[in-house]
Amino acid sequence: MGTVLQFVVLGLGLGAVYIGLGSGLLLVHRATGMINFAQGAIATWGAYVFAELRNTGTLVFPVGSVDLGEPPSTATALVIALATAIALGFAVHYLAFRPVQQNSVLAQVVVSVALLITIQALVVLRFGPNKIDVESFVPGGTVTLLGAAIPTRELFIALVMVVLAALVWCYLRFTRMGIATRAASENERAAVLMGFSPSWLAAIAQAGAAFVGTVAVILASSLTGLNADYFGLLVVPALAVLLVAKLESIPVLVVAAIGLGAFQSLIGLLVTQPWWPVWAQSGLDQVIPFAVVMVILFVTGKRLPTRGATQQIRLPDVPIPRIRPLVAIGLVVAAGLALAFTTGTIRFGLTTSLILSLLALSYVVLTGYLGQISLAQSAFAGAAGFVLSKASVDWGIPFPISMILCALLATALGMLVALPAFRIRGAQLAIVTLAAGLGIERFIFNNYSLSPPEGNPIADASLFGMDLAVREGRDLSRLAFSLMVLVIVAIIVWVFVRVASGDMGRAFLAVRANERAAESSGINVRRTKVIGFALSAFIAGIAGCLIGFSRGQLSAESFTVMAGLQLLAVAYLGGITTIGGSLVAGLIGPLGISYVLMRTWLDLGEYYELVLGLALVLTAILNPVGIAGAVRHQVEFVRRKLRRPATSPPIDAPRREEEASHV
Amino acid sequence: MADAPLLSVDGLTAGYNGVPAIRDLSLDVRAGEVVALLGPNGAGKTTSLLAMVGLVPLLGGEVRVLGAPLGRRRPHQLARNGVLLVPDDRGLFPSLSIREHMRLAARTRDTRREQEVLERFPALLDLGSRRAGLLSGGEQQMLAIAKALLARPKVLIVDEMSLGLAPKIVQDLLPMIGRLARADGIGVVLVEQHIELALQVADRGVVVNHGRAVLAEDAAALLADRDLVEEAYFGAGRFADHEAVGGTA
Amino acid sequence: MSDGLHARELTVRYGGLVANSEVSVDVAPGEIVGLIGPNGAGKTTFVDALTGFAPMTGEIELDGIRIENLPPHERRAAGLSRTWQSGELFGNLSTTENLLVAARSAGWTSLARDVFGRRRRNGRDVVGAALEMVGLTDIADTLARDLSLGQQKLVGVARAAAGGCTVLLLDEPAAGLDSMESRALAQRLRAIADAGPGILLIDHDMSLVLTVCDRVTVLEFGKQIFTGDPTAARTDPRVVAAYLGTPTEVGHG
Repeated sequence: MGTVLQFVVLGLGLGAVYIGLGSGLLLVHRATGMINFAQGAIATWGAYVFAELRNTGTLVFPVGSVDLGEPPSTATALVIALATAIALGFAVHYLAFRPVQQNSVLAQVVVSVALLITIQALVVLRFGPNKIDVESFVPGGTVTLLGAAIPTRELFIALVMVVLAALVWCYLRFTRMGIATRAASENERAAVLMGFSPSWLAAIAQAGAAFVGTVAVILASSLTGLNADYFGLLVVPALAVLLVAKLESIPVLVVAAIGLGAFQSLIGLLVTQPWWPVWAQSGLDQVIPFAVVMVILFVTGKRLPTRGATQQIRLPDVPIPRIRPLVAIGLVVAAGLALAFTTGTIRFGLTTSLILSLLALSYVVLTGYLGQISLAQSAFAGAAGFVLSKASVDWGIPFPISMILCALLATALGMLVALPAFRIRGAQLAIVTLAAGLGIERFIFNNYSLSPPEGNPIADASLFGMDLAVREGRDLSRLAFSLMVLVIVAIIVWVFVRVASGDMGRAFLAVRANERAAESSGINVRRTKVIGFALSAFIAGIAGCLIGFSRGQLSAESFTVMAGLQLLAVAYLGGITTIGGSLVAGLIGPLGISYVLMRTWLDLGEYYELVLGLALVLTAILNPVGIAGAVRHQVEFVRRKLRRPATSPPIDAPRREEEASHV
Repeated sequence: MADAPLLSVDGLTAGYNGVPAIRDLSLDVRAGEVVALLGPNGAGKTTSLLAMVGLVPLLGGEVRVLGAPLGRRRPHQLARNGVLLVPDDRGLFPSLSIREHMRLAARTRDTRREQEVLERFPALLDLGSRRAGLLSGGEQQMLAIAKALLARPKVLIVDEMSLGLAPKIVQDLLPMIGRLARADGIGVVLVEQHIELALQVADRGVVVNHGRAVLAEDAAALLADRDLVEEAYFGAGRFADHEAVGGTA
Repeated sequence: MSDGLHARELTVRYGGLVANSEVSVDVAPGEIVGLIGPNGAGKTTFVDALTGFAPMTGEIELDGIRIENLPPHERRAAGLSRTWQSGELFGNLSTTENLLVAARSAGWTSLARDVFGRRRRNGRDVVGAALEMVGLTDIADTLARDLSLGQQKLVGVARAAAGGCTVLLLDEPAAGLDSMESRALAQRLRAIADAGPGILLIDHDMSLVLTVCDRVTVLEFGKQIFTGDPTAARTDPRVVAAYLGTPTEVGHG
């Protein structure tokens, strides 16, 4: 009993972070209607500033730094770090959130994901990739209770965070600004009509959220040290807690946060028991938040509050693709030639780009066409790759069949994740899929009994006696493999074009545009969503298998949640509504050809993520159709210019002129 | 009335995505005056009101508020200057209490003003801690008006006050608005479906149909010639081909 | 043979509010029935209840089959089709594509059909008739969101009719139209009804309703206060009172 209590209290440290991030998320959601996936990363920045001040006496800014001579006192460092956090909160509002306030939910999710990538990349660039130790200024010690030594540090930290959460509660409850924030979340137009500026309310909320979160991370990092990836992704359980609190109730949030922290700590205790199966030792603490989220959403899904938009949101255009044989053949031949005339890392980069464009295509299907936001695509790909290792090595299933089977498994997984999409949409679906992705990552890829640290080898492919292996002797990138990838990508793109231009693609677009209207037009919305998720996961699964083949083994780091977020980033950047966009995404994707060139020629590989993140913030704000869309607009513009002087058919002429005079 | 209008709308054309929902509407409102904007659903009344406070962009024409053009002033700045719109959803926050609504409405805390306003709506006095979402339709409408009055309006624009209210309640509420306007020198624009009642309260009436003003007259004249209103309202051919008629001012 | 729509005693409650109270409406094939009443009377709620978008009690029979327990898309498949007050077109799709969404089914089998099947050269073969019916052939390839409000309303009607239906429920198709467009709409509606389907028409444009409808039902505060001949509705004192307010001693009676 004493040990149990001890572990419960140890879990308070984690619970305190959930309180800090969760109450910030709640505040921001109340003020903007948006979910800030970068909440953890924002809080981490301030904590790094604090740690660096105390460790070296350097005040680090995103660009440049000031050497203060010797480390300032804890109190001074704390004040500076928290001031930084507040400034960061304002910056986040005015530079990222406010510009997309009237955009689609997708643009809003993408902006905060982009912020997450940007800040994580900045942290690594400015503070180094390694975990850094943080001085523990929280009074330590233990008290003995029920015969167990109970650490007081965790108790103290949890207490501080509960008090801060109570302050947030008081703000929303009793101050005029806070009441206005709640009011605006229920009826933004009415709040405007009463003289309140939603933007100012949101700026205050962002600053407050950054403050509370930073306090939490500073306190908690004194227990564990600072690690950007770890704290950045603590936003996922914090989001789970937020959903439990129905995005509204601070008291429920506090209880749920402490409960989840304690529960995860207890699982840590449980899995060390001798009777506990070895394969289930790792990742359970991440699977549980996902399970919690799923249950909550199924019970209360429709009652979660969403903010009514003040005006109709215009979604980016989705052109219906047509097969233009000449263009298609030209592209395939060009790609084949590019592969044939390159070698080594360049060819490998090109091949990786081809595979990445498939992954991006899976986003095009799901997000571009069906309008559903999934952050679990890399997990689908990874799951397929994981099984491929078993299928190709342990079970000896031959090549094309093994790949298709594994992709079908990913398909099944995708259909499972489609279930919550019956009930929820938009950013909340993004939360669920993110939690699912993290669960799969921790439970399968980071689980040593399932994925041994020496790797899961994947047998090389061969077909009718043709050796399709990626390596042979010193050739690290064989042409045969690259051409196989090209053929597979071409087939899948062709299938996609057929579907997208057919009845199914039209049904996808209808569901994306307006579920109610689609339903009243006879479309089975649920079935359509399941089909969309299935198709998208299948494509992701094929891509996962190809990544596996290209590495010769399943590499877990290719399929982490962060890798998945980066992929969403490039897919969006390329243009999430078109095939052209997915091809562009492949070119600029992580480890793709642009990355290889940036690293080998410009030696700028370490800035890749930062550039990606910033470019994505800008794209989400300025140009929702992505690079491919922008190019297409330009081409159309030029074509129209060229066509203008030509004489139009006589019947159409008067009407055109009339139209032109209106423009 | 020689004083300058508080709200002056001249040739207003407004709509969504560049498609006008109302074309060429003109009207003036002076202190203590009530103007009724009448017409069937979809005629463009609500769009006109939203355009007057800057919530829908103008496609043409001019709106002058408190002597200055609408220009680039944001809707919340207009509200702070005393131009208050009570929208057709009543502009309430379901989970906030009456007291919280009052708190939001008054920029500085002024208990005397609050008492004064609440005394005009005795039904609200005893319900201070009740959430707006739990109030009856009539009580909600009273709260919406009380909230607007608390902000010391110079121009009060009320959209579809009678929506979902029993006729009896409307018969009490509408004349009260008229009395308040005269007592406090507020310029009022009313959008109403209840023509008869609205015209009894108003000084002037403007009837819009199919996105155009089809009739603008003194309220008494409109009341006296009911057929004229009915024709305009039910969209008879007699008015369909008329040019839009400006305000009488 | 088609038997039309029979809705019996539909009641819709939202919390304590009774939005529809035992409303019964019949629409026979080829007939245009008007559903009118002041704002907030519960007309749209009635259409929502009929089509499965509002919780209701009561019976709905379409062509002799009870459909009140079916989900919305199956009611559509059964032949009960509707438009929306706010248009609700698929803005990113062309007029033709909008109609095709309603006319073509999309399920697992269509996935295979899409990939391997022969492609029709032109979707207009399928929905051309519906387009012609509302006179929209010249804007067949325009994106829905680039259409004028009047055109959008017509496309909404055509989409509801595409693929065939027994009864069309039209929620304010004339709201926002100018008087000329409104008159054109009346002719189209008559043509549609003459071709077979029954129409339930909600509108505020009294001249449209009174000229085109065979019968009207008037709602006020969720209750049916009148059902019968359109000209009789215009002079019925309760209907006039519901619309223009109870005349008091100040006004003319």
